Amino acid sequence: MADIVSHRAFTEDDVEVDADYVVVGSGAGGAAAAVTLARGGKTVVVVEAGAWRDPDDYPVSMYGTMRDLMDDWGSTITRGRALWPVVQASAVGGTTVINSAISVDTPDDIFEHWRTEHGVGDEGFRTSVLDHERRIADELTVSEVPPGSLGRSNELAMIGDKKLGFDGHVMRRYAKDCGGSGQCLQGCKGGRKQSTNLQWIPEVMTRGGTVLSCAPVKRVVFEGRRATAVTGRFRHPSTRKKGGTFTVRAREGVVVAASATHSPALLLRSGVRLPALGKFFRAHPGTGVMGCYDEIVDMNFGATQGWASTKFRTEPGLKLETLAIPPELVAGRLAGGGSKLMARLESYRHMAMWVHAVRAESVGTVANGLFDKPVVRYTLNDADMHRLRDGISKVAALHFAAGARKVIPGIHGFPYEIGPDELGLLEDAPLEPRRYVAILSHLFGGCVMGTDRARAVCDDTGRVFDYENLAVADASVIPTNLGVNPQHTIMGLASHFATRWLNEGATT
Amino acid sequence: MKKSLVAFFPSSERPDAMPGVETLDVDAFVARYAEESAPLMWIGVVLGAVVFTVTPVFTVYRPLPSFWLSRELLDRHTDRLASHPVYLLRQMVFLLKMVGGICWGQHPLVRERLALAPYPEDPPRWRTS
Repeated sequence: MADIVSHRAFTEDDVEVDADYVVVGSGAGGAAAAVTLARGGKTVVVVEAGAWRDPDDYPVSMYGTMRDLMDDWGSTITRGRALWPVVQASAVGGTTVINSAISVDTPDDIFEHWRTEHGVGDEGFRTSVLDHERRIADELTVSEVPPGSLGRSNELAMIGDKKLGFDGHVMRRYAKDCGGSGQCLQGCKGGRKQSTNLQWIPEVMTRGGTVLSCAPVKRVVFEGRRATAVTGRFRHPSTRKKGGTFTVRAREGVVVAASATHSPALLLRSGVRLPALGKFFRAHPGTGVMGCYDEIVDMNFGATQGWASTKFRTEPGLKLETLAIPPELVAGRLAGGGSKLMARLESYRHMAMWVHAVRAESVGTVANGLFDKPVVRYTLNDADMHRLRDGISKVAALHFAAGARKVIPGIHGFPYEIGPDELGLLEDAPLEPRRYVAILSHLFGGCVMGTDRARAVCDDTGRVFDYENLAVADASVIPTNLGVNPQHTIMGLASHFATRWLNEGATT
Repeated sequence: MKKSLVAFFPSSERPDAMPGVETLDVDAFVARYAEESAPLMWIGVVLGAVVFTVTPVFTVYRPLPSFWLSRELLDRHTDRLASHPVYLLRQMVFLLKMVGGICWGQHPLVRERLALAPYPEDPPRWRTS
C-alpha cells in the first residue's frame, strides 16, 4: 500500500487497508493523536475527507479557499433564531490550514471547571495536558508575531489598548518567522504557519503510516459493540463525484477526530446510541466591527491576526482580537446594496476590522442530516446576546481610542456608522440575533467527556462509553467553552488521550 | 442572476469611482460558479436572484420585476432589499450579495484600486502520491 492514497474513480479497485489504528480526520486533534500513536510504534492510517494541498497548491483568492479548503464551500449554517455560518475546513490539516494558528495554553480555571462540573481529570490529567501543550509549542515553533509583520491594523489595536488598559498582547502563533502576508485564511503559501499537514501528517507517513485523502468516512463498522473499521467512498476534490470505496480495518482502535460537527454526525449515522451524543454543542460566536480611520490602514498588509485581549474572558466572557479580511469578504459584510454599498466600499483602505468572540453559555445540538451533512441547531440566549452587544461596544471603544473617526457596528436597524460621541447608543442596541451577522468559529462538544453517562459520551481518555476500540479525539470532547482559541487545548488533549491508549493498551 | 449582481455592485458615471461588477467579467464568473460550487450554494444563489427579481413591490412599491425598474428605482430596490426588515428576505439575498462581492473584490481592477497585487490563478492541484 502506498503511503498516500488520494481519490480513486469508482472503476478502480476498492482500497482495503489494515492498521493498528485508524484516525478519522487530520486536523488539530486527529493529527496530534495520529503522530503520538505513530511515535509509539503503532501503524496508523489517517482518513481525511478533504484533499492534501501543499503550500504551493494553496488557493490565493477567497473563492479558491471556499472551493478548495472550506467544508462544503462554507455552507454549514446554524439552524436557530438566526442563520450564522459555521466555519470549518475540509483538507488534510483540517482547520489548522485556514485558521490564524493562535496558540493559548488551556486556562487553569477550565481544568477546575471540568473537574468539578464534569468529573473529568485530576491533577495528573492537568499536568499531562499542559506538558503536552508545552512540547507542542516547541515542536510547532510557537512564537509572537514579529514587530515587522504586524501591519497597521494590529498596531492601531495596540495603541487603543494602551489608552484603555485592555491588557492586550501580541499573539503567539504556530508560525515560524511570520512574514505578515495577510494570507492566513487562504493557507500560508510561504509555509510559515505550522499547520498539521506540514508537520505531523508527513511524520506519520515516515513512521509507516498511510493517509487516505479525498476520503469522507460514511460509517464506523462494528462487530457487536466493538469498532473494527471505517468505510466510505472517495470523493473527487473538484467535481465532487463519488469514486471507489475504501475500508480501513483497525486492530486496536478507531479514533474519530472529524470535528465538533462531523464527529457526532459520523457516530450517529454509524448507529452509536448514547443519550449525550450530539448534545452540548457549544461555540464562540463572534462578529466584526469596522473602524474607519483618516489614515490608510490597508488591513491586508501584516499578520491576519496579531493582537488580542483576554481581559474580559471571565467577566463578561469575551475575547477581543484583530482580524483582517480581504475586500471580497468586506463587500458582502457591509450593509446595503447598489450605489450606497459601492460608496461605502471606497473606504476599504481606511478600514480596520477587529472582532470579538463570546464565551457563550448557550448550548446546541448536532445531528446527521441529508447527504451526511451535519445539522447544527444553536441559538444564543439572552445573556449571551448581552455579551455579544457588550463586545461590539468594547471593540468600538477600542477603535475610537486608536483614533477611528467612525465605527461600523454592523447591526441591522442600527445606524450604519457612529462617531465617538455616539458610543453610548450601543448600550441600547437590539438584542435580537437576527439583527447581527455573526459566525461560529470555535466549536466544542457533541461527544463531550465526563463521568455522568447521561451527560457525556466518553471518559477522560476519549474512550466512548459502552463501545470497544472506539475513541474520540477532537474539539467535540470538550465539555465547556474555553474563552480562548482552542487549537492548543485540542492538540494537548488528543496527545494526552493517545499517550494513555499507548500506555494502557488500545482504546478498549 | 447577472442583472442582480450588477445591481448590487453597479458602475458609476464618476470617473474616479470603483469599477462595477458589469465591467469585471461577471459572465465568466457566474458560469464558473455554476460549474464549481456546491449544489446547495448554487440553488441558494439562484433563489436569491429570483427573490431579487420579484420583490420590488415590497421595496419600491412597484408591481414590476426588478429588470423593468428604472436605474434609480433599481438602485433603491437593491439597497432596501439588502436591509429589509424581514429577516428571511434579507437572508435570501445575502448569499447573492456575498457571491457578487467575491466577483467584485477579487478582480484585478478592484485590487489595483485598493493597492493590492492581483491574485494569481488558484492552482488546481493536490497531492495524489
